[in-house]
Amino acid sequence: MSRGSPRGSFAGIAIALIAAVLVTVVMLVIGSRTPQAAIRAFFFGPFSNTYYLGNMINGFTVLVLTGLGAALAFRAGVFNLGGEGQVYIAAVVTAVTANAVTHASAPVGIALALTAGVLAAAMTAGLSGLFRFLWDTDELITSFLIASASIPIIDYMIVGPLNDPASNLLTTPRIPEALRLLRILPPSRLHIGIIAALAVAALAYFLLFHTVRGYEWRLTGLNIEFARYGGINTGMYILVPMAISGALHGLAGSFHVLGTHHAALVGFSAGLGWNGLAVALIGRSHPLGVLPAAMVFAYLQSGSRTAILHTEFTFELATIIQAVVFFIITAQHLPSIAPRFTRRIGARLGIRSNNGGDS
Amino acid sequence: MIVNSLGIMAPILIAGLGGLLSERAGVLNISLEGLMLTGAFTAIVVTASTGSILLGATAAVIAGAALALVFSIISIDLGSNIFITGLGINLLAQGAIPFISNQMFGTKGVLRFAEMPILPRLELAFEFRVPLVHDFLFGHHIGVYLSILLTALTWFLLYRTGFGLRLRSVGSNPEALRLRGLTPEHYKRIAIVLSGVGAGLGGALLALRLGVYLPNITSGRGWIALVTIYLGYRRPGGVLIAAFVFAFAETVSMAAQGVVALPNTVLLSLPYVLTVIAMVVYSAVRHSGARRHYSR
Repeated sequence: MSRGSPRGSFAGIAIALIAAVLVTVVMLVIGSRTPQAAIRAFFFGPFSNTYYLGNMINGFTVLVLTGLGAALAFRAGVFNLGGEGQVYIAAVVTAVTANAVTHASAPVGIALALTAGVLAAAMTAGLSGLFRFLWDTDELITSFLIASASIPIIDYMIVGPLNDPASNLLTTPRIPEALRLLRILPPSRLHIGIIAALAVAALAYFLLFHTVRGYEWRLTGLNIEFARYGGINTGMYILVPMAISGALHGLAGSFHVLGTHHAALVGFSAGLGWNGLAVALIGRSHPLGVLPAAMVFAYLQSGSRTAILHTEFTFELATIIQAVVFFIITAQHLPSIAPRFTRRIGARLGIRSNNGGDS
Repeated sequence: MIVNSLGIMAPILIAGLGGLLSERAGVLNISLEGLMLTGAFTAIVVTASTGSILLGATAAVIAGAALALVFSIISIDLGSNIFITGLGINLLAQGAIPFISNQMFGTKGVLRFAEMPILPRLELAFEFRVPLVHDFLFGHHIGVYLSILLTALTWFLLYRTGFGLRLRSVGSNPEALRLRGLTPEHYKRIAIVLSGVGAGLGGALLALRLGVYLPNITSGRGWIALVTIYLGYRRPGGVLIAAFVFAFAETVSMAAQGVVALPNTVLLSLPYVLTVIAMVVYSAVRHSGARRHYSR
């Protein structure tokens, strides 16, 4: 990761954000018959009541966990492209466990269900790490293939043997009330998992940057040959980061069941893995960089949702906005292009720019 | 079964070859899925309105190349992260196609047109006596032959031309190229556009074989095409074998639907399971071979 000057990268992120907002406004104006209402719903909707606000923060929780999962793998130089499947596996395992341990006391039951889900996801991702460790099989591909293979099987289980006959939705039965995580900001779905997500981010930062193992972890990611030459057991830093990446995706999946929906819905994890990767890359694979990246992303998602609910704005247009934001949010050359561009426009409009500087 | 496999293989192979070119130039193009989807949509719309498969396929190639050009401008000129840009291209295709389809035809769903020409097949005019050989060589749609031809062409381009040499050195040693006074970015851009050409054509074949456009018609084939690049050890011949392995696995799982008492949704995972097993076994065998070599 190149740090650059903090001021420069801050300007870069600020310009990218401004550009993203401008593009969003343009899209809302083009795509909606009531542009003013759509813009209002998009930008202010997420803050208009506790329901939207809470759900936005809950979306943030998921993005922090999946983003951290992806970022920690990146830091060790491994790719986990199976996040979506790992979230899904953890959710189903958690739902099944929670419904099986009805006689346990609440803390024990929650701990069991959470551990089972996280372990299942860690093992799924760890399998790809193990293959890489044993036989040098590319973990980028096996993690993707294993996830792609497991998704239809889980789909089948939720629709078939595990289906809740009492529900109209394609979902597992709802978990016992005693095992549901405490909600914050009702009626929204925000739950105390947010605290865990923030704690995990802080912990990841500490482990990565203030411990010897974290140093070895990063060194393996920067240059595996050099790390091996320096006596680091690099095999460990392939296997363990993959498993931990899976565990964090698993935590997101378990929280979905224990806190958000109280059941595993069919196909709920679609796109979660990719979003996690995007958050990790936007946050420059830094545990603390993931937090603002996840915040922007969560805001964007809930803005689209409120705009769709309240205006004629469509899901497709929201997808296009997300695509365009992806294009510019990591643009490194934008800070050098944007001033030139605005100067040119300024010159055409006959306005003299004061902060042009060098020209 | 092999006949079916080759038909399934062709679109994956062509998209994989395109992806191989950008991969060799050091660009992991994860937008193959979106580029294929764009190709499929364009091919059906243009073929239906002109009545010509050739025009439809050409338009699909142009559309794929144009979207890939956008990819290259954003990743190279704006300096955006290649992976995120690729995800963005996929999202753009997923969002823009239903939007355009809705504006043009009033539906975001299946596009079925009357009098859709079908993809021609290569049949022999005379009787050919050896049945197995006959089945293997003839009776496929033209895309199959095209995909084999393009494999050879890609090999020639990469290993027998100066352009291919420079393209490969962009991926392996861009500084050397810069020292020789050439700009790596230029080659990267061409490679990305070529991957759009391949993915666009692959998507066109996928849709023209069915004669309809379905939402999410690619259903992960762009990702599989990406996998074949690595599974084939980044060589055109390897991509061919990998694409065939996947297509064969898919044919097996389709044939299994009538025989095995497994639910259809579970069978959807079979191609991935078989591919990952093939990959792991292959690397394990290779690895133990390498170890024996060392110990000698």
